[in-house]
This record gives sequence, C-alpha cells and structure tokens, in this order.
Amino acid sequence: MRRTPPKSARDYAPIVYPGIMLVVFFVIPFATMIAVSFFKRNQGAFYTPDFVLDNYARFLTAFFGGVLAFSLFLAIMVAVVCLVVGFPFTFFLVRLKRRAQILWLLSLLSVLSLSEVIIGFAWSTLLSRTAGITNLFVALGLMDRPEALLPGFGAVLTGMVYQALPYTILVLYPSLARLDWSLLEAARTMGASPVKAFFNVVVPVSRNTIVATLIMVFVFALGSYLLPQILGRPRQWTLSVLITDQAIYQSNMPFAAAMAVFLVLIALALVGLTTLIGRREAEA
Amino acid sequence: MSGLVLSEVRKHFGPVHAVEDVSLSVPNGTFVCMLGPSGCGKTTLLRMIAGLEEPTGGSILLDGRDITAVPTHRRELGMVFQSLALFPHLDVTGNIAYAMTIRGVGTAEKKRRVGELLEMVHMAGYGDRSVAQLSGGQRQRVAIARALAVQPKLFLLDEPLSALDAKLREAMQVELRQLQERLGITTIVVTHDQREAMTMADQVVVMGGGRIRQAASPVEIYRHPADAFVADFIGSTNLIPLAVENGTATAFGKPLPGIAAPARDGQMLSVRPEDIILAPAGEGALTGTVAFVRDLGATIETFIDIGGHRLVAASSPRDRPAVNVGDETGLSFHAGNAVVVTA
Amino acid sequence: MNDFSDRKIDRRTVLGTALAAGAALAMPAVARGADRSLKVGAYGGFFKKSFDENVFPVFTKETGIKVESVGEPTGEAWLVQLEQAAKAGQAPADVSMMAQVPMLKGMESKLWTPLDMKKIPNSKNVLDRFINKDPNGDVAGIGAVAWYITLVSNTKVFPTAPTSWAAFWEPDKKDKLGLLALVSNSFLLEVTAKTFLGGTNVLDTEDGILKAFKKLAEVKPNVRLWYRDEAQFEQALKSGEIPMGQYYHDVTGIAISKGFPVRSTFPKEGGIEDSGSWAVSHASKKVDEAHEFINFMCQPKIQDLVCRKNGTAPTVKRELLDLSDKEFAAVSSSIEPIIPRYAMYQKRSDWLDQKWTELIVG
Repeated sequence: MRRTPPKSARDYAPIVYPGIMLVVFFVIPFATMIAVSFFKRNQGAFYTPDFVLDNYARFLTAFFGGVLAFSLFLAIMVAVVCLVVGFPFTFFLVRLKRRAQILWLLSLLSVLSLSEVIIGFAWSTLLSRTAGITNLFVALGLMDRPEALLPGFGAVLTGMVYQALPYTILVLYPSLARLDWSLLEAARTMGASPVKAFFNVVVPVSRNTIVATLIMVFVFALGSYLLPQILGRPRQWTLSVLITDQAIYQSNMPFAAAMAVFLVLIALALVGLTTLIGRREAEA
Repeated sequence: MSGLVLSEVRKHFGPVHAVEDVSLSVPNGTFVCMLGPSGCGKTTLLRMIAGLEEPTGGSILLDGRDITAVPTHRRELGMVFQSLALFPHLDVTGNIAYAMTIRGVGTAEKKRRVGELLEMVHMAGYGDRSVAQLSGGQRQRVAIARALAVQPKLFLLDEPLSALDAKLREAMQVELRQLQERLGITTIVVTHDQREAMTMADQVVVMGGGRIRQAASPVEIYRHPADAFVADFIGSTNLIPLAVENGTATAFGKPLPGIAAPARDGQMLSVRPEDIILAPAGEGALTGTVAFVRDLGATIETFIDIGGHRLVAASSPRDRPAVNVGDETGLSFHAGNAVVVTA
Repeated sequence: MNDFSDRKIDRRTVLGTALAAGAALAMPAVARGADRSLKVGAYGGFFKKSFDENVFPVFTKETGIKVESVGEPTGEAWLVQLEQAAKAGQAPADVSMMAQVPMLKGMESKLWTPLDMKKIPNSKNVLDRFINKDPNGDVAGIGAVAWYITLVSNTKVFPTAPTSWAAFWEPDKKDKLGLLALVSNSFLLEVTAKTFLGGTNVLDTEDGILKAFKKLAEVKPNVRLWYRDEAQFEQALKSGEIPMGQYYHDVTGIAISKGFPVRSTFPKEGGIEDSGSWAVSHASKKVDEAHEFINFMCQPKIQDLVCRKNGTAPTVKRELLDLSDKEFAAVSSSIEPIIPRYAMYQKRSDWLDQKWTELIVG
C-alpha cells in the first residue's frame, strides 16, 4: 500500500470513479432534495425556487411528530424482530451441510426478487378472513370461525419482517459462517449449556455484526411505504406513506422534500448514536 | 475403578472410521499423552471424552459413572483448545472467571480465585488486560488457568502448545507437567510431537489408523515398541527386515545370534540408532557401505547402506567413528537392545 | 361522419402522399419522419389498453396520424412529470387525459396550450360542464370521458341494495367499508354535504367544510380499508372481505359481467361524477395534430364507441348519442350526480389535505 500522500492529479485516479458515482447517485439527488425542501409551495400549482422555512414549520407539529415517532418505532421493531428471528436461523443455517445451505440461500434470494406490491398482496390474502390462514386453523379445529388478521399493526410488522428477513440473513451469513466454533465449545466445556453459550459467547462476539444488521434493517424498514398502506390502518401509515402522498397525490414537492430530509437526518442521527454507543461499550 | 475408563469406543463419520474400538483406563492423577500422526483419531477421541462428539459405539466412564450420554457442560472438565478459544469480548479476568460466572460463584470468591489462578500461571497483575494484548505464551497460560478455574475432574488439552516457538514450547511442557503434578489432576494431552509426549506423560497412548497401537510408559514405549508403527513413530529407529531360517534369525542373509523370533513372515528388528555400534570392516554382525555422515554437534549420525536399506548409527563425539563416505564398515548391536516387531 | 371532415381527410391524404413520395425520392430517411404522429397519454392499464384497441386505430385510419400511446400514472404524478419535462422543453405526451384537479393546477402554472375552438368544431357537442375554461376565458381542456364513483356492495353479504350514501354511517357497517384514501380522489366531503348538509354549496366556506369533516369523522369506525390502490379494494369487495364501499361504476360493471357477487348503486343523492379532460402541454410541437385528435374524440359516434368499449360515461349531450337506454344506464344514471368541488381542492389543497390526514390517521 502506498504511504506517500498523493501529489499529482494522476494519484487521485483510483478514486475518480467511486467519486463520480457518489456525486451522481448520492450528492446531486440529496442536494436537490434539500434545495427543494426550502422552495416555496404554490398551492394549486407547483413550486418556485425560494428560501422559505414553511415546509419545515408545517412538519413541526404534534401530528407529524406522532407519525415520525411511529415510523421510527416500527422500523426499530422490524429490525429487532428480524434479528431475533434471523440470527438464530443463520446460526443454525451455517452449520448445515453445504448443499442444504445453498438451497436455503437460493430460496431466500428468490424472496428478494418479489416486489413490495406482491409481498403486500400475498400477505393481505394470507391474513384475510375469506381466504387466509385462519381458515386452516378452523379446519384444524384450533379456531371456531375464520378471522381477518388485517389491517393492523401485527399484519404490517409481519409483512415488513418477511420482506426484510432475507436481507438480514444475507448480512449475518458471512459473519456467522466465519465464527470460531471452538469459542462455543470452550464455553460448553466450562459448564455453559448450549443456550447459555449462545447468549454469552456467540451474541457478544458477534456484536458488531448485530449492530450493523440492526442499522441496515432499520434504514430499510424506514423507507417502506407500500406495506403499511396495504396491511395497515391509517394509524400504521408511516412518514414514508405521507411523503409519497405529498409527492405523488398532492404534488407538494417542497413539503415532501422537507419531510424526507427530516427523516434522513433523524435516521442518520440514530445510526450515529448506535455506533457511538457500540464503540463506547467496546472500549469499556 | 476411579478414573477414566474407555471401553470399545468407536466413532464413524459415514464410511470413515475415525476411531475404532478404543479401550483405555486412565487412573486418577495420571498424565496421559495421546500421540499419533495427523488423522490417527486422537483429537476425535479427546472430543468424545469431552462430549463434543457423540461416540458411534462404546462407553465412557468417569469414576465409575457412565458419562457417554452426559452433555459436555455437565462433565466437569477443563479443556484447552488448539486455537485456545479465548473469548475476545472478555478481558483476562473475564475469561478465567467464565466457568465461575456460569456456576454463579460470588464476586469476592471469584476475584480471589482469579488472583490465585493468575499467580499459578505466573501472570499476576494481568487481570484487566484484553486478550488481544497478550503474547502467545501469555495467552497459553490464560487458557490453562481458565480451564482449571473450577478444579475439573478432567483436564483435556488439544495440541495446546503447537502455536508456540520451539524454545517456549519446551519451557511450557515442563511448566505444564509441574503444574499437573502439583494439582494431581487427571490430564490428557493430544499431541503429534513425540518429544512433548515423552517430556510430560506418565502414560503415552500411541494411536494410528483410529486404533490404540500401544499404551504404556514413555520408556516402555521407547524401549519396547509394540509394533513397527510405534517403533518408527517414537523417536527414530532402524527397522531391519528379519527372516527366520531353521530357528535362527537372519538379516541380509547373515545370522543374528541372540535374537529369538518365532518363524513368521513380516517381522522386523527395531534397533535405535544409538544402539548400533560401528566396527572395522569385516567385523560385526552386518557389513555395509557408509553413505553419509552428519555431525550434529551433540551426536554424530552415520548413514550406512546395506542391501538396499539405509541404517543410521548415532554416536557421541567422544566415540567419533573413524569412517569416511564410501568406506566399508561392520556394525553390530546387543541383542538386548533389539526388539522384534511385526509390521 | 360529416362531409366536412371527409373532405379534409381526402385532401390531407393526397397532400401527404405527394409529400411523402417527393421526400422519399430525395431523402428516404426523412420520409418516415414526415409521417404525422401524436403522443397521447391515457391512464395506464385498462384505459390505455381499451383506447389502444378500440379508439386510436380508428383515429389513425381516419386522419393518417399515428398514435403513440403513453401510460400515465394516476394521481398527480403525471402532472409533475409533464411540468418537469416542459421546463426542459420536452413533452412526454402531446395530449394527455387529465383529472380535474391536476387540470386546474396545470392551468394555474400555465402548463396547457389554450385550445383554438375554431379547430375543434365538434366541441359544440360537449356538455358545458366538461369544457375547462381558465379565468381569462381561454379553453385549456375538453372533456374526454366521465366516470362515476358509486356505492358498491357485495350481494352475498348485503342481499338488499342500499339506497343512500347514509348507509356508510349505519352502525351495522362497522369495520366493513372500503373508501378511497385521499381527500382529493374520494370526494367524500361532497358526499357528506349532499347527504347530510343540504348540498355541496355548504363547502363554499371553511365553516361548512369543517362541519362536513365533523360528520365524516363519524364514519371512521366503519372503515376497514382506506385504499389508494384500486385492485386492493376490488379484490376484497369481490370476496366479501370488505363488503361495501365506494368504487368506480365502470370497473364494478366489468366485475358483475364476470359473475362476481357485487353491485353498483347510484344512491338517491347521486353518484359522484368525475371526469378526465384532454389537455395539450405547451411544450408540444404537435399542436395541429392535437386539435385534430380532440376534435375527433368529440364526435358522438366516437363517444358511443368509448362508452361501449370502455364502460365510461359520455361527455357529449345524451340526445346526440346512439346509445340505447340500457347501454346508457350501464355507464351513467339519470339521477342528478354529485359534482366534485374541484376549485375547493385547488384553492384549499394543503389545508384540506392536512385536515383529512389528521382525520383518518389521527
């Protein structure tokens, strides 16, 4: 690796391509969004370039605060549930025979090919009264009559976890596949049951992976706007749903942009806080 | 009986028979080394004793109790892994105290015991270090202290010293043996290093092809190897093809007086290099040509070709043999130093 | 078809052929470019498919103008796209079918080219309420199709048809309704005003609107689904999962014809009549062709065709149409419709949106 600082333009060549990509796909769109968030909304038409704070002012109300809080809560719940389900799953997956692992990973990848719309409709059918799983429970004698399990918080959470779980497992997989199994065996020789060893060795050793996974799923879930609509009641509509409404149905781009900027900032702040706490603990 | 008893323990991985019908008694307080080339089944056997592998057949008894089906965490053992398996998320104290934490030992008692253990492995004052900050030898000591924290009934070590350099390894071998003697704990070490085994063990178990070839004291194994495999694996030896004609043992067509062997095929005579005595050409039981002489300082090795075989004689510098490459030389050995083995 | 347009087509055909032949001799590559064409935006999905199959080929046959149809997203997304493109001098479609609120918004931002009514003689056939005039009196759009949002219900769950929008408020409908999710596409304020507050005029004032909101809030516990996606509700309505709600009369008609146990009712207060208008982006360079297209669409026989094939209601006067009473009843109703207060959505857009969102989300 070179140690001398780059001197000529040529020395910067290796970072030109990633630099351009970053500018084209992140800096320009995000800067545009920030700029639009300060534009003046012309009701009944579009917007004019300006510098006004109205869009942010409209957002800073108890109503949108509540929606934001729910969106963050939902994203955190999705991340936590995905981890609670995905971590043990991946832990067992990496111990399977290679052929079985490939089969599992392929089927997980195939779930990724499903669009949010398909996932939403599939779950709305699965949780419905007329064609859903409760009919199966009735047939098995577990329930008296079929019931609708949607719309509601549980349905939204289920759909979003289903959507995010393959990502969770694919992110956890490489790290758990590299896990030193002798750590677990060492814990067992010292009197820890497999479950105890899992919690006080495997989990803490994988802490960085866990934090990274939580952040990824959290950010992923924060952007979800179709599943809350399809599977939830209005109370479960996230900020992303309202942003979409403003952008698509109200053509209120400045307000949509302001909400989006706010959402990104809050998400970044939470991610920063999480990594900061993670580092503190690692040092402690 | 008290101690560890293995009877007809087997482990098959599909078509592979990793361990086959192993029976062994280890009295309490014994230091046992399981020795063998890689793939001989010694690690698998150790892992079955630890409960980390389930035997395909046979039983394992500890102090008269059948522990074959007892899960690892209830076997009351301490184990040092080849990778050491120190917990990276815990400091030295945390690692050593782990077994006590699991058992719910009180903080004060835990602290006292960790201090004691650190003292024992000469690492007092290192308690709050991160394991990443330690040298190889220090990590080794932490792993040993950790395994001994709750005074286990069995102390198992899987190639514990293989990551250390030669000098440190020898020092640790001595240290480990002294520690074991002090604690009187039943100890089983898996190693592929016969010097290590000779240094530490009360009893050496030589394994090959999934079976025990010989289990005996180091001197016994060295002096009276049970078969050619053991003879060859323990130290270096000369394996001389043996023929028995009319009740007389011969090698390379020459009679070997004093060697008694039954009339059987595939027998060999194991003679240690230091037991071969060089003689002037024409004297001695056998005659060969000097192929190479190696002066190692402490010993001088003379390589002699006889009838397509190469034998080695080791002498001390005081009795430096007066031979040169290409010379004819005679050689002999005392019958009592030669062991008849089968292949 | 009248004589006038016949002659016109003849002349253009001759001229076009001569021109094309001349051009082909000189520059074969340009010859294809000289073909007259028009990009027409229609709502993606059923509308676009139906127009592609039944209407555009007739237009091309009659005028020689090729139609390239563009599927529009619903809502105001298309307006946003047209607006952005126009700023760059581009027109993703020359003529677009626009809903009424985006139509007004486009007028406000001067997105539309004022239409020259002299070039659209057939516009005299169109009902007055379907001519979009801006405050200066310029015509920005002309009604393309109309459709009704009616009270729909599952016949298995509700054997008797409801007769009034008031059915939504009845306690036995708890958690059984599917309603449109946005203030600007559900028109439930108008429904509330007409059903309970004596007419939509009450929505002229903020007080009146708040009154309507208050009455509408009572319906909230009965709503199971606030939908943006039509397919989502249609599926649930057919299966009886959500047995009642508001939905498009034409699409419900298709479901009935396929044997699903659903019905569409024009309540005694009237169905909600919404419509789409043809409008031309000012970035379009095909203004002549666009006028020709709109004129073509205003012919009663084309309106007949669209009503029959598309299931939508006509925008031209009933007496000019060739539709039988039965055919007319399938797409429309003689009950006075509830006309949405489009201007209200334009003027109070953000306030209404905020109140509405707070009502249903809060």
